[in-house]
Amino acid sequence: MNVMTRAESSVASDVVKISARDVQVHYGTTQAIKDVDVDILDKTVTAFIGPSGCGKSTFLRCLNRMNDTIDICRVSGRIMLDGEDIYDRRIDPVQLRARVGMVFQKPNPFPKSIFDNVAYGPRIHGMTQSRAELDEVVESSLRRAALWDEVKDRLASPGTGLSGGQQQRLCIARAVATGPEVLLMDEPCSALDPIATAQVEELIDELRTNFSVVIVTHSMQQAARVSQRTAFFHLGELVEYGETGTIFTKPRDPRTESYITGRIG
Amino acid sequence: MSEEHIVKSFDRDLEAIQAMVMKMGGMVETAILDGAKALETRDEELADQVRRADKAIDALEERINEEAARLIALRAPAASDLRVVLSVMKIAGSLERVGDYAKNMAKRAHVLGQMTAVGGSGGALRRMARAVVDMLSDALDAYVHRDVDLAHDVRRRDCEVDQMYNALFREFLTHMMEDPRNITACMHLHFIAKNVERMGDHATTIAEQVIYLVTGALPEEVRPKAESVTAIGVGEG
Repeated sequence: MNVMTRAESSVASDVVKISARDVQVHYGTTQAIKDVDVDILDKTVTAFIGPSGCGKSTFLRCLNRMNDTIDICRVSGRIMLDGEDIYDRRIDPVQLRARVGMVFQKPNPFPKSIFDNVAYGPRIHGMTQSRAELDEVVESSLRRAALWDEVKDRLASPGTGLSGGQQQRLCIARAVATGPEVLLMDEPCSALDPIATAQVEELIDELRTNFSVVIVTHSMQQAARVSQRTAFFHLGELVEYGETGTIFTKPRDPRTESYITGRIG
Repeated sequence: MSEEHIVKSFDRDLEAIQAMVMKMGGMVETAILDGAKALETRDEELADQVRRADKAIDALEERINEEAARLIALRAPAASDLRVVLSVMKIAGSLERVGDYAKNMAKRAHVLGQMTAVGGSGGALRRMARAVVDMLSDALDAYVHRDVDLAHDVRRRDCEVDQMYNALFREFLTHMMEDPRNITACMHLHFIAKNVERMGDHATTIAEQVIYLVTGALPEEVRPKAESVTAIGVGEG
């Protein structure tokens, strides 16, 4: 019981950052997400796990309206960010994505300099008044992404020249630069080696002091290592959502048990 | 969890480690029964055999622990798989202790063989050992069949073993007070009785591990306890 209490207390906040109710997603006539209700906490890492095609990435992409870019995709239900419906007509999806940043599976730096990669968001959102201010945002973002020391002497070199792990941290710095409140990560380590993975995981743990982080991962070990809350998706349904330690030691649903012990894929 | 793992070698590893625990259980049961028999029939050769066999029990425990460590490192078991590995380690630890008590009984049987027999305590000790072996064997059966009811039954039966120990305690006290020449033998016999009583506690621990394995939690309710002999004074034996 003590272990459980300690793991529980590692959640820094019980403030609900994102609240989803009765979310359904269809691709054409195919239903990808069924009746998902979930409360994602602020300053907490939440992991979405589940077999391929279970809908975890689809649901993640609902959280910053990335699915809007897919024509046949239809989202219904309500997703509230700080109590505000993000699918409301008055919400500008571009502004929303500055608040809810995203990092993808493959590092995808722009074919620009390291500096410009990070400066891109603050520039298009007009967040800074002067070059000095922009320099400051770039430096602090790179520091947050634990990349500053490695790149501070070559900010003008192309971002694509960095190693895979560095490129991914550059993408995290780019996402952090717009001052988001939530960071969505879709398998951020699947293209990285174990050392780079460990660095990104350490970074995720640091990021949660300021952000709510939601990570989709195929690695159950990674979910167990980095998250405080885990949601298990199966066939488009949210089967179980709870404290990560409980999910991995004593899950309630037999489907969760079968998945985490390697019995269903 | 009757379904198989996608990686079948994981199932084989888990089965192998559990089979080792069952083998260890069988060896320990034999050690208890032989130890008690050697004591009652003053069979020194059988007593020696029990002492020698304990080495194999200890070696098996070590192998189980190594296998468990390997399984944790290589397979990263979760949920019920993790509980299998954890319970296997605890059960092997309990069985090893029971094996030591059986060996100790055999050692004392050797010493007692040189002395005059005291009352009918050999038979009483053998009955107590029989009850403990039954508990142990049921606890291991409960493990194999994931039978929580049987595990609860084993827990309840520990009380009977405690009562047998209390009765023997009083009996030894009486013999010692009757004739001080009985003291040495009775001291040995008392240690044996106490050790058999401890074996019952270990069988109970194993039953509790079965409950933990199946339900994910150790039993909470307090089990029935016999009246303790710790309150018995010299004058009232």
